[in-house]
Amino acid sequence: MRIYEELFIVRPEITDEELDPFLEQLKNVITQSGGTLDKAEKWGVRKLAYRIAKLSEGQYVLFQFSAKAEAVKELERRLRVSDLVVKYITVRIDEKLKRLEKRRKQREKRAARKPPKAESPSLSAPQMPSEPAAPMPGTPAQAEQK
Amino acid sequence: MADGKGGRPIAASQRPTGGDKAIATGKKQYFRRKKVCRFCVEKIDDINFKDVRLLGNFVSERGKITPRRISGVCTPHQKRLTEAIKQARNIALLPFAARV
Repeated sequence: MRIYEELFIVRPEITDEELDPFLEQLKNVITQSGGTLDKAEKWGVRKLAYRIAKLSEGQYVLFQFSAKAEAVKELERRLRVSDLVVKYITVRIDEKLKRLEKRRKQREKRAARKPPKAESPSLSAPQMPSEPAAPMPGTPAQAEQK
Repeated sequence: MADGKGGRPIAASQRPTGGDKAIATGKKQYFRRKKVCRFCVEKIDDINFKDVRLLGNFVSERGKITPRRISGVCTPHQKRLTEAIKQARNIALLPFAARV
């Protein structure tokens, strides 16, 4: 089981009533093979950076799911065959997520360890919990940029 | 999206110590601020192809990827950045070649 991200462009004139059943179908492809759909986002109509199939706008839809390779194959086949979809991209992200998680843990560890060591080896215990709060303002700002 | 020149809108306060040190090069004395990697300084771990606003900073007006010697991004981050930009191009979030 691997985690993937699927971003695809749907024709801009397609309404939600037409799109939703199609997305439901795709969801079934994933779930029937034992996978899970973790996230489904509609970005709405966006301008394309270049023309695809004589279109300069498109609706973006993002899926994040975990599934087996066969399910991805089937999903891609459906996207390719469908008339609604103009272009799609599948990215495997499980290794990336793992790396990010590792980095985050490292950072937390460092943030928790460093302040008492560097600044206050002699200070009393109640001071310590307030110290790791110092690097915290950095994290919400980081979340905003994503 | 097209302000790709250099791409380091970092406040001076965010730079690490030593980053502001001017370096004299050559016979003629002129000073150059040492470039720092924006991803290291701002601690951006995730360089994602969906984040067009971030990637747009590292793309020239023409849609080209800004070289490391200009943007100051470090090698590991430039590698991820390039990959992300190429993925974004593939799904029409960024242009392969923009008309000027």
